[in-house]
Amino acid sequence: MSNTESVPGGTLTRVSEDSLLRVTDLSLGYGEGADEKRIIENLSLTVGNGEFVSIVGPSGVGKTTLLKGLSGLLKPKAGQVVVGGGALEGPHRDVAVVFQDYSRSLMPWMTTRENIAFPLQGRGQKKPLRNKAADEALDAVGLGGQGNKYPWEMSGGMQQRVAIARALAYNAKVLLMDEPFASVDAQTRFDLEDLVIDLREKLGVTIMLVTHDVDEAIYLADRVIVIAEKPATVVDVIETGFGTHRDQVATKADPRFQDARGRILTRLRK
Amino acid sequence: MATTTTTPMAFSGRPSVNWTLTFQRVITLVVILLLWQFALMSGLLPKITPGVPDIVTSIFTVVTMGNFWVGFGYTLFAALAGWLLSCAIGVVLGLLIGTVRPLDRSAALIVEFGRAFPTIALMPVMMLVLGATTNMKITMVVLAAVWPVLVQSILGSRRLDPGIVSTATVFQIPKGLWFRKVLLPSALPFIATGVRISASIAILAAVGVEVLTQVPGLGRLITLAQEAERWDNALAYLFFAGIFGWLVASLLGRAEGRLLRWNRQSDD
Ligand SMILES: Nc1ncnc2c1ncn2[C@@H]1O[C@H](COP(=O)(O)OP(=O)(O)OP(=O)(O)O)[C@@H](O)[C@H]1O
Ligand SMILES: [Mg+2]
Repeated sequence: MSNTESVPGGTLTRVSEDSLLRVTDLSLGYGEGADEKRIIENLSLTVGNGEFVSIVGPSGVGKTTLLKGLSGLLKPKAGQVVVGGGALEGPHRDVAVVFQDYSRSLMPWMTTRENIAFPLQGRGQKKPLRNKAADEALDAVGLGGQGNKYPWEMSGGMQQRVAIARALAYNAKVLLMDEPFASVDAQTRFDLEDLVIDLREKLGVTIMLVTHDVDEAIYLADRVIVIAEKPATVVDVIETGFGTHRDQVATKADPRFQDARGRILTRLRK
Repeated sequence: MATTTTTPMAFSGRPSVNWTLTFQRVITLVVILLLWQFALMSGLLPKITPGVPDIVTSIFTVVTMGNFWVGFGYTLFAALAGWLLSCAIGVVLGLLIGTVRPLDRSAALIVEFGRAFPTIALMPVMMLVLGATTNMKITMVVLAAVWPVLVQSILGSRRLDPGIVSTATVFQIPKGLWFRKVLLPSALPFIATGVRISASIAILAAVGVEVLTQVPGLGRLITLAQEAERWDNALAYLFFAGIFGWLVASLLGRAEGRLLRWNRQSDD
C-alpha cells in the first residue's frame, strides 16, 4: 500500500500535493434550521501520505464529531473533505475507523476472526482469502492464534487490538482513531500506543488519532493539531520532529516533548 | 497461546441435571393426579370423568393405534408448516418494520390490532374462502402464531446498538449482508422468545381448528372420542398434544441457550 515518505531518522516530508486527506473550511453540527447546533466551524487541515497526526482538544469540544465528518458518517454543513483525490460523499473505501468504545463496535455474535473479516466479506472477498487476511491482521496486533475467541472472552485492551486489526485488514489509506485507548488501564495504554507506533513504522499507514490526552498526542504524532473553542476550530499546530521511532521514557524526557507539552497546555487553558 | 479451547469454563458442556427440581416436578405431578382421583371418588367431578388409571391405560393403548399416528401426523404437519411460515414472515416483516422509520409508524396500529384480534373469529371466513382443507388449517395457524414473532422482531431490531450501526456504515457493509449478519443476530435474543411462544400457539391453533372444523388431525380424534363417550381416549390425545408442546418448547430453549451464548456473556 502507501509508502512512508520518511527520511530515516528525520521528520516526514509533507508536500502539499502528496496530502492524502485535505479538509477545507469544514463546518459540522447537529440539527437543521433553527435547531442547528454548530460544533465545528471553518476547520482546515491536511494529512500527508504516511503521516501520523494527533488532534488534541478538551472533552466535549467535538473530537468525535470531527471524526464522524471525516469518516463520512456526518454530512458537512459547509466546506469539504477530500480523500485521495475526490470529495467525500459518505463512507469511503480508503477510510477506516477505530472507534472510542470498542465494546460497542465489535459484534459480540462474531468471533474475532469473523469481526475482522466481515468488512472484507462486504467487499465480496472469498472466505479463505478474507480469513487469511484476518489472521494476518491478528498476528500484526499480537493476537496470533486467537481468531476463534469471542470479543467478550477478551480483555478491553485485546478487544481494542481486534478493532485495530479490523481497520488494518480493511487496507484503507487513512486510519482514523477516536480516543482508542481512553478506556483501558495505564500499562495497557502504553502497550497499545507502542503497538500503533510499531504498525505505522512497519506498514506505513497514515493515521489521524483524536485524543484529549496531551501527552499521548505528542508522543504518537509527527504533528499535533490543537482544537478548541465553541464552535471548535484549529488553534495551534505543532511539529514534534521525533521521527518514526519512539520510546515511552526517552521520548517523554526529550526537551522538545516538554516544550510542546507546555505550549499546548497553555493554549488549552486560555 | 490459548489454542486449546474456545469455550469459557462456565459454559463447558450442557447444564447439569437439577435433581431437586426434577423431584419437585414429579411430586407436583403426583399431587395433581391424586387430587384428580380424589375429586372423582368424592363425586366432585361428573361420573363420566375417567379415573387416572383409565387414562394411563388409554395412553398406552392409543399409541398402538394407527389412526392416532395418522391424526398426530396431520396436526404435526400443519403446526410445523404454520409455525415455520410464521417465523419467516414475522422475522422479515418485523425487522423491516423495526428499522424502516416510515414503516414503523404506519405499522404500529396494525400490529397492535392484529396481536389482540381473536383469530378464531376469522374461521368462518377462512372456511368459506379455503374450505375445510389443510391449507385453511395452516393459514389459521399462521394468523394465530405470527404475532409473537412479529412483535418480538420489531422490539429486537430497535435494540441495535448505534455503535454497531456506525461501524457497519463506515466499513460499507452492503444492505443484504447487514440484514443477515448485523440486524438479525442482534435481534435474535428477542426473536427467540417470540419463536418459542409461537411454537406453543401453533400446536394449540392446529388442534383448535381441527376440533372446530373436523379437518383430520388430533383435534378431530378428540371430538370423535367425545362423541363416542370415550373420555379416557380424548384425554389421552390431549396428553400427547401437551407433551409434544412441552417437548418442542424445551428443545427450542436448549437451542437458544447454545446459539445465544454471546448474548448472556456480553450482557454481564
Ligand atoms: N448526535 C448528536 N446530536 C446532537 N448533539 C451532539 C450529538 N453528538 C454530540 N453532540 C454534541 O456535540 C458536542 C461535541 O461532542 P463530541 O462527542 O464530538 O465531543 P468529544 O470531543 O468527542 O467529547 P469526548 O471527549 O467526551 O469524547 C457536545 O456538546 C455534544 O453534546
Ligand atoms: Mg469523543
